[in-house]
This record gives sequence, C-alpha cells and structure tokens, in this order.
Amino acid sequence: MAHQAHAYHMVDPSPWPLTGAIAALLMTSGLAIWFHFHSTVLMTLGLILLLLTMYQWWRDIIREGTFQGHHTPPVQKGLRYGMILFITSEVFFFLGFFWAFYHSSLAPTPELGGCWPPTGITPLDPFEVPLLNTAVLLASGVTVTWAHHSIMEGERKQAIQSLTLTILLGLYFTALQATEYYEAPFTIADGVYGSTFFVATGFHGLHVIIGSTFLAVCLLRQVQYHFTSEHHFGFEAAAWYWHFVDVVWLFLYVSIYWWGS
Amino acid sequence: MAMSPTAMVARRALAAASQGSHEGGARTWKILSFVLALPGVGVCVANVYMKMQAHSHDHPEFVPYPHLRIRTKPWPWGDGNHSLFHNAHTNPLPTGYEGPHH
Repeated sequence: MAHQAHAYHMVDPSPWPLTGAIAALLMTSGLAIWFHFHSTVLMTLGLILLLLTMYQWWRDIIREGTFQGHHTPPVQKGLRYGMILFITSEVFFFLGFFWAFYHSSLAPTPELGGCWPPTGITPLDPFEVPLLNTAVLLASGVTVTWAHHSIMEGERKQAIQSLTLTILLGLYFTALQATEYYEAPFTIADGVYGSTFFVATGFHGLHVIIGSTFLAVCLLRQVQYHFTSEHHFGFEAAAWYWHFVDVVWLFLYVSIYWWGS
Repeated sequence: MAMSPTAMVARRALAAASQGSHEGGARTWKILSFVLALPGVGVCVANVYMKMQAHSHDHPEFVPYPHLRIRTKPWPWGDGNHSLFHNAHTNPLPTGYEGPHH
C-alpha cells in the first residue's frame, strides 16, 4: 500500500480550472456581443458555466479538506497565504478607482465648472443613508467577531446566531444601497462624478454581495458541523474578506461621500 | 490560534474601537453586538427617518449642462437612453424631466 511521505496536498486532476477559463472567455466575449449585436446568449452561457464552476470547485475543496483530511497545518498555511495575497490584489483593484476619483476631484476641470462636486450635481447627504450604511457594516464587523469567538469556544448556537446576524446586516446594507442608487439625483452618465461614484461604490457593492454569500456558505457549513474549534479556516477567510469589505467602505465613505460632497 | 498580522491588526482595531473593552471571548463580543453595534445602527435608522421627513420633495430645476447626462453611446437595454437605476422623478434625460411631474 503506497502512502504519501509528506504533509502536502497533491490535488487530483480537476476539470474546473478549464471550465472556469471557458466561462471567463464566454462572459467577456459575450459582453462585447451584447453591446454590439444585442444578443445575451453567449454572456448568459458564460454566467451559468461560471456558477457551475464555482459551486463544484469549492464543493470539491470542502470534500478534500473537511471530509478527506487533506488540509494539514502546512496546507492550511498555504491557504492562508493564498487568501491574504488575493485580498491584497483586491486592495490594489480598489486603489485604482480611488486614484481615478482623486485625480478628477482634486483638480476639477473648467468643463465641470472648476469645482467639486461639479456644477449641477446634488451629492447625497453623507449623514443620511451613507452614515447608516457605515453603522451597518461596522456592526457586522462586531457580529462576525462574535461569531469567530463562538466557533473557537465551541458555542454552536451562538455561532449560528451571530453568523446569521452578520449576513442579515450585509443584506440590509445591500438593500439600502440599492434604494440609494434608485433615489440618487445623479446617474453614472453624469460626467466623471457619476462614473467615479458608481464604479467605485458599484464594485464595492458587488464585493458586499460576494462577502455575504461567502458568509452564508459558512453558515450552512457551521450548521452541518464542518467547523471545529481548532480548525475553521473557511470561516476565517470569509471573516477576513468581510473586514476588507468594511474597510473599503470606510475609505469610500470618507473620500467620496464625505470629502467629495 | 494563528491569524495573519493584518487580521490581528483589524481585530485589535475593532476591539480598541469598542471603547477600551479588553479583547475577550464570545461573551464580550456578544455584549458589544447588542449594547453598542446594533443600537448604533438603530440610532442611525432613526436619524435617517427624521431627516427624510424634513426633506423637500421637489427636484432641482433642469439646466441642460453639456458635462452632465452624457450620451456618447446608448445603453444596450430599453431605448438606450435610461440608466440602469433610472428614476423618472429624480433623473432628468438630456432633454429634461420625463412626463408630467409634480
């Protein structure tokens, strides 16, 4: 009988990287086809393939880690590095949009009226819904920390309660932002103000949705006894991501909503 | 248990932000959730509600500024002239507010 003489995980061959790459190709070319030829078939196909890829790939990782024991300490260390590097890359992603915002707002051109906000733009009151949104995300940071400690202390019911509360707060933020988007007196087509506002806050909102989904998966896993008090990296990764989303919002709030008004 | 330095800093910052409470166990964060975090949200909800009441309901007068309501390329939906979250009451088209408005 052959055994591996090391603690690392030699992953079995998998089709999901290929299907993921095909999905990426179909979504990007599908977007171009939609813009120029008004057909959404390719893009929709790509989206479905993406969802299937994500579901099956992450399901396989859970099988390998939780059920087959492949996530030894060195393997977990690698996963930690991976998540940290990924979040770092996302920081740089948002940095670009903040760069664009400050480029346009620090030296507003004559076409905009030489001022920021530009002439004719009524910015949102930073002390109304945006402040509420800030409180919601900060609160969710507290509740997710409660969830982490609950998991570490083996408090199953509390872990479920706090994780649920965190997800509800995330959904509340998304709902509030959606109504803000609908009620806003300016649109994405309102010059560089609209572009920087909606692209930066829009990508942030997408990340809130992704983070809430990640946490929801963790809730399902917690209910199904996947996590132990010593080993629950999936949850930690979700919590790190959630804190990152919160921090990005704080920068958005201070820069675009508050200073930018 | 091992956490990244970034996560520890974030955790420390959040713990510090809770007005000097020591970093403790689940019970501490549960208390913080129900005594500080959620009431904080409640206060902000009340604030929004009161500010909404004090609002004027009229939209600003329409001025056809060339630097706003850009239409370089039509959107790929509808008539191509309405943004994704278009609100007829608050978002004028390049030609002005749509339809009869109060």
